[in-house]
Amino acid sequence: MTTAKRLLINAGIIVLLILMPLIIKRSDIITWFYLTLLYIISSHSWNIIGGFAGQQNLGHAAFFGAGALAARYIWLHFGLPLPLALLGGAVVATAFAMIIGFPAFRLKGIYFVIGTLVLAEILRLVFDTILPRADVMPMSLLATYSLVSRYYVTLLFAVLTVGVVYWISRSRLGLGLMSLREDEEAAEASGVNTRKYKLVAFAVSTFIAGLAGGLYAYYGVAIKPGGVFEPVWTFDAVIIVFVGGVGTIVGPIIGSVFFVLLQQFLSVYLPGGIHVAVFGVLFIIVVLFLPGGLIELVTRLRGNFARGGQTN
Amino acid sequence: MIELVAQTFVNGINIGALYGLVAVGLSLTFGVMKILNIAHGEFLMVGGYFGFWLFTLLGLDPLYGLPLVAVAVFLLGAGFYKLVFSGLARLHEETKVKNSLLVGFGLFLIFPQISRMLWTSDEQAITPAYSGGSFPILGVRCGYVPLCALVMAVVIILGLHLLLTKTYFGKSIRGTTENWKSAKLMGINVERTYLITFALGTALAGIAGVLVAMTQTISPDIGMSWTLKALIVVVLAGIGSVGGAFFAGIILGVVEAVSAIFIGPYTVALGLVIFLLILMFRPQGLFGKA
Amino acid sequence: MLEVKSINVYHGDLQALWDVSLFVNERELVSLIGANGAGKTTIVETISGLLTPRAGSVTLDGVRLDQMPTHKVVKMGICLAPEEKGIFTGMTVLENLELGAFVPESRRIRNGTFQFVYDLFPVLEERKKQTAGTLSGGEQQMLAIGRALMSKPKLLLLDEPSLGLAPIIVKSIFGVIKQINETGVGVLLVEQNVAAALGLANRAYIVENGRIAGSGDAKGLLDDEKIRDAYLGTG
Repeated sequence: MTTAKRLLINAGIIVLLILMPLIIKRSDIITWFYLTLLYIISSHSWNIIGGFAGQQNLGHAAFFGAGALAARYIWLHFGLPLPLALLGGAVVATAFAMIIGFPAFRLKGIYFVIGTLVLAEILRLVFDTILPRADVMPMSLLATYSLVSRYYVTLLFAVLTVGVVYWISRSRLGLGLMSLREDEEAAEASGVNTRKYKLVAFAVSTFIAGLAGGLYAYYGVAIKPGGVFEPVWTFDAVIIVFVGGVGTIVGPIIGSVFFVLLQQFLSVYLPGGIHVAVFGVLFIIVVLFLPGGLIELVTRLRGNFARGGQTN
Repeated sequence: MIELVAQTFVNGINIGALYGLVAVGLSLTFGVMKILNIAHGEFLMVGGYFGFWLFTLLGLDPLYGLPLVAVAVFLLGAGFYKLVFSGLARLHEETKVKNSLLVGFGLFLIFPQISRMLWTSDEQAITPAYSGGSFPILGVRCGYVPLCALVMAVVIILGLHLLLTKTYFGKSIRGTTENWKSAKLMGINVERTYLITFALGTALAGIAGVLVAMTQTISPDIGMSWTLKALIVVVLAGIGSVGGAFFAGIILGVVEAVSAIFIGPYTVALGLVIFLLILMFRPQGLFGKA
Repeated sequence: MLEVKSINVYHGDLQALWDVSLFVNERELVSLIGANGAGKTTIVETISGLLTPRAGSVTLDGVRLDQMPTHKVVKMGICLAPEEKGIFTGMTVLENLELGAFVPESRRIRNGTFQFVYDLFPVLEERKKQTAGTLSGGEQQMLAIGRALMSKPKLLLLDEPSLGLAPIIVKSIFGVIKQINETGVGVLLVEQNVAAALGLANRAYIVENGRIAGSGDAKGLLDDEKIRDAYLGTG
């Protein structure tokens, strides 16, 4: 596919997404789209550190949550305008990441993974204890609550996020990250400043994660402070990236769509949280047999079609 | 005042023994095959529910039910190992560790849902007739059930110790932990050793689960928090120190019990904080080799 | 007894051995000599089952070994004392030896084998309760060999037993290797110390760049000018 063609398709999709709420008035469908976009942002932010850099940060929820709470407080309790709140949330998340980033990256491999998981848990437990009651939007704002405006804001940031990830993947940073994902020692030996790259990736990743959190804070009517640190925010992002295609641009997008669709579909037919178990199974299958996720599946199928059309 | 402190200590030791038991299982698995089973706590949860079933459906006293639960969880663990983890055992170490974390995480998504289907989300406990009873030792109240649990835990750990030091099989586990290539050259079937060790680790978790059901309550979601507890203890003891894991568990239990007096509800976060501090400043733990 | 026919062995995607063939008869002491990285270790690792050849075969008394996992190869009677010694440093000397006799057939008769090993290496008996990690280099090498003997192998594979050891210890170890061979155990000895290896062996193979570059009677090779120039020049 030529670049021009690709650009046209992307532009077309974006236009369709912009027009969507004008055509479809059902709020549940708009919510699905909104969730998909939110997941695209959240999962891509994880993709940067977990997919491209290969550092499985299982504490994603910590930064999502930090951004969510900070943004919420700046917006609701300090009364500052939304853009500032979102920015503030993202900055807080990143600052937090940088504070723990220095010691955290001293932890190699698996210790980093567990350490980040534990960190998110600590935050969840602390906030559950300090602020057990949900933070509810004041009546004045509830009256003017517009799902559509939230949709558009999220759409904007989703497009920006994908753009940023695309740009990173083509940049020296991206190449450096991928080389350190493959073999950190070799990358270090060939002159890649792995420490710096990891920190930069971490910073960008947590900034966007904090942004996603802020967008969620903007959306949620009532939010329990401990709730935004729940492991589910990490796990959803991780599942989406893996099932969609780790370290790819399109992967998390497909993954998010697939995830939301499956979630909605399954929760209708299956009792309780069984859809979570289904995701668990899918996830394991992907990890063991299809590490490239859906993208790999599509590529393989396409390959089979092509071969099928030729005579031997 | 002395009584309060003594009581706190006793409570801490009781729960600490459970921490230790769960941690030893995790340490064993990780030490031998470098697979960190994030779903370790799920096997504890399942074991607890198996014990619950035996008690409520068959009226079997949990202490007699323990061996049955142990066998059941052993088989379950072996099955899952064969199904999802064995493919990983051959991988290059770093990938293996990362992938095993992810696979364990997948299991963590599955187990609670299935258990919710089978046993509902309600908290359950195993409450045999002697549950509430206790007797005083030097002014400190020792509940029958926690005392039983403590004794069971100690007995099992001793048994494990004997297994590892006196039996050929146990020594082959230790050898495989140190150097799997050499172990192979001794004629040890390393693949089978991995399978059995993994199953053993989960069985230990399952046993702990029954003890937890007796001394506290269980619900489908307790898996992850117990996995984290086990992790904290393993890191506190130092990776590679299987015996130390039990003592570290007791230490953590006592530390938590004592701190609860001062920081109350935040005690849950304490263990996690200790974990991070150890990782950053003394990664070899209390008993481990650097 | 042992026959290796035309094996091609790869480390991952890189080919390490090309069309390697050799044989060891019962009670023979055969040496593999060659420079560092020539492929000698790859050969013995393949024979012991740690590596699987992509082509060719390894047979012991007519039974094919090349597709077997290592623990089965040990059961068949081949035991390797690897280059890195690989002793369990956290366990005692006795425990190391015990594990050497892990295979059930060897386990049953292990008490007799202990005595055999202690007779060859008296220092191991002295230090049997000591942690293996506290032994000296030479003692660790003795333990590695003793441990390999515990499985009562028909064929003993030794990879660089002289590595890192003082000449006087090397001499004593080589003396023991000769003794072991004289009790009827076949030995395939990988050695960089060409002079010592050829002095000990009946026959030898020269390994160069993953291929067998030559073979013959040990005495003959010692006298061969090309060999002397290539391998014995700097002593």
